[in-house]
Amino acid sequence: MSAVAVGVRAEGLTHRYGRIRTGVARLTFAFEGPGVVAVTGPNGSGKSTLLRILAGLLRPSEGSTAVTLDGRELPRTLRRTRAGLASPELAFYDELSGEENLVFAAEARGLPAPARAAGAALERVGLARRARDRVAAYSSGMKQRLRLAFALLHEPPLVLLDEPASHLDEEGRAAAEAAVRDAASRGLVLVATNDPEEVRLAERRLALVARGLGDPA
Amino acid sequence: MPSDGSRSWPAVWAILRKECRSEWRTRYGLNAALLFAVASLTAVTFAAGRLPDRPDLLAALLWIVLLFAALSSMSHAFVRETEAHTLLFLRLVASPTQIALGKLGFNLLFLLVVEAVTVPLFLLLTGAPPLRWAAFGAVLGLGTLALAASSTLVGAVIAQSRNRGALFAAVSLPLLLPVLASGVAGTRAQWDGLPVAADARLLGSYAVALFAVSLLLYDHLWEE
Amino acid sequence: MIWRWGIFVWIAAAMAAAFLWAPLVPVLQETTRVLYFHIPAAWVTVIALGWSMIQSVLYLWKRDLRHDDHAAAAAELGLLFCVAATVSGSLWAKSMWGSYWNWDPRETSIFFLLLIYGAYLALRGSLEGDEKRARLSAVYSIAAFVAVPPLVFVVPRLYSTLHPDPILNASGRVDMDPTIRLCFTAMLVGFTFLFAWLQSLRVRVSRLERRLAT
Repeated sequence: MSAVAVGVRAEGLTHRYGRIRTGVARLTFAFEGPGVVAVTGPNGSGKSTLLRILAGLLRPSEGSTAVTLDGRELPRTLRRTRAGLASPELAFYDELSGEENLVFAAEARGLPAPARAAGAALERVGLARRARDRVAAYSSGMKQRLRLAFALLHEPPLVLLDEPASHLDEEGRAAAEAAVRDAASRGLVLVATNDPEEVRLAERRLALVARGLGDPA
Repeated sequence: MPSDGSRSWPAVWAILRKECRSEWRTRYGLNAALLFAVASLTAVTFAAGRLPDRPDLLAALLWIVLLFAALSSMSHAFVRETEAHTLLFLRLVASPTQIALGKLGFNLLFLLVVEAVTVPLFLLLTGAPPLRWAAFGAVLGLGTLALAASSTLVGAVIAQSRNRGALFAAVSLPLLLPVLASGVAGTRAQWDGLPVAADARLLGSYAVALFAVSLLLYDHLWEE
Repeated sequence: MIWRWGIFVWIAAAMAAAFLWAPLVPVLQETTRVLYFHIPAAWVTVIALGWSMIQSVLYLWKRDLRHDDHAAAAAELGLLFCVAATVSGSLWAKSMWGSYWNWDPRETSIFFLLLIYGAYLALRGSLEGDEKRARLSAVYSIAAFVAVPPLVFVVPRLYSTLHPDPILNASGRVDMDPTIRLCFTAMLVGFTFLFAWLQSLRVRVSRLERRLAT
């Protein structure tokens, strides 16, 4: 798959939860793919919020963001088709198996060969053996691997990972790292994390310092 | 219409199939709905007794039972997503309109299944006179479409609120009263040997209007 | 300040004229007086609903919370006037026709409007977050708009065939005596301004609330 030139930008980005509590405050940045950017910051500084805004799921209170592919801006509502998001709140259907969840996702996204794409994604994260088991029976580590598989399922040019290594054992981390590097060779990966190992994967860094939800300062 | 261009139907179809599969695997929604429908049906028919010569009452009672069945079960499709926290997953793989259309299809099938059990039982227990099948089918079918359209929209709104259970019935009611009125009138007309065209037309245009307006509104449902 | 007094004087004058100067409608006799209150209240109910729905559309289009303030305020006031119209109508029905409620077409219509208002406000009460509440109640408001024509125009007529009501609803069908029409129009105008004034007050309160919280 040929690489697409992908970029993300933000200008004066601010997002408030409720009336006072700020998720992100006056953020401005621009990154171009390929590569990995680590988004760091204390808890509550808005890392997860930022990823959701970039994925087009959240409309910021103020400011703007843009995702460009080959120089052309992608409309906010279409970002989900060219971006992959894996975050801790992402939950799958417990009554379906990991494979069924991914095949459903592939079908809904309109991928040409859903079963094959799902199978490949599961292989990449090391879930192939447990693919047929219901998600209800998955451990937290397996669910995290499924999230990563889901984010990379449609081989998006923009990959947004929120704490990708959480709950993962050595083997899982290695698989996650490999997947991140693979995605980074083809597009832009943003990793929201405070884990130093994950931060090491990135060449660039965006440090969020604004007053966030949990910041006592 | 769906903002994602040409490939909208595969997503709707995929969501519909997923809903059916999930429902089949867990089945608590359908079981609860059927149990409730049968329970209310039993209560109503037991209290009213056999009414072979009262088409006016029969029509009213039938639609009340159907309305209760819809009110008790229709919020289920969206509330389930909220409670399982799977809405994020859905929103990433499909547009709001595709999600809503998939759920609408599911709600429609769900209602049809409930009606397939409820209506024959009702006719049996009340000793109702024979139906004019085409006329009755038209009224019931169009009414079901309107019920499904309304329940899908209201269900999606309610799933994001606090007092979900109690609220669904109260908020749905204004939208469902026209269906109740025309449904009862049409059902009674077909038993009285009168034409149902006017009532069917009302139900049909109401269902279409609701559906058309819903299509414009779905995109605003989950845009945070 | 001047508005408050202006409206008060206007309505007081109109009521006084209606009670003391205008003649009685023959078929209604003493109960004529209710129409100066009841019909304007119903009229405001409808305007309020329309205004609320228009503001809902504007909110979804512009995403400006001021439109939501208007929609919510209009709904609250609309409910108030709707209750006033329903109760006054019911009392009128009791003295005219002997029973408080007949499912007469107009009674049915106003009852349905009451349901819509109630549902809308109940929904608002259960939604948290300014933007979410504004957005979802706007969605519901617009959906409810589809139900209004059938509920207000079609269903009541269906009801009247299901529940035959031999008594005619006299108001609106009667050719009004010019004096009555004058007082009546004055009350109509007065009530409209009353609504507009209350609406502006309520919207200002909402805006202040929001500013205080940020």
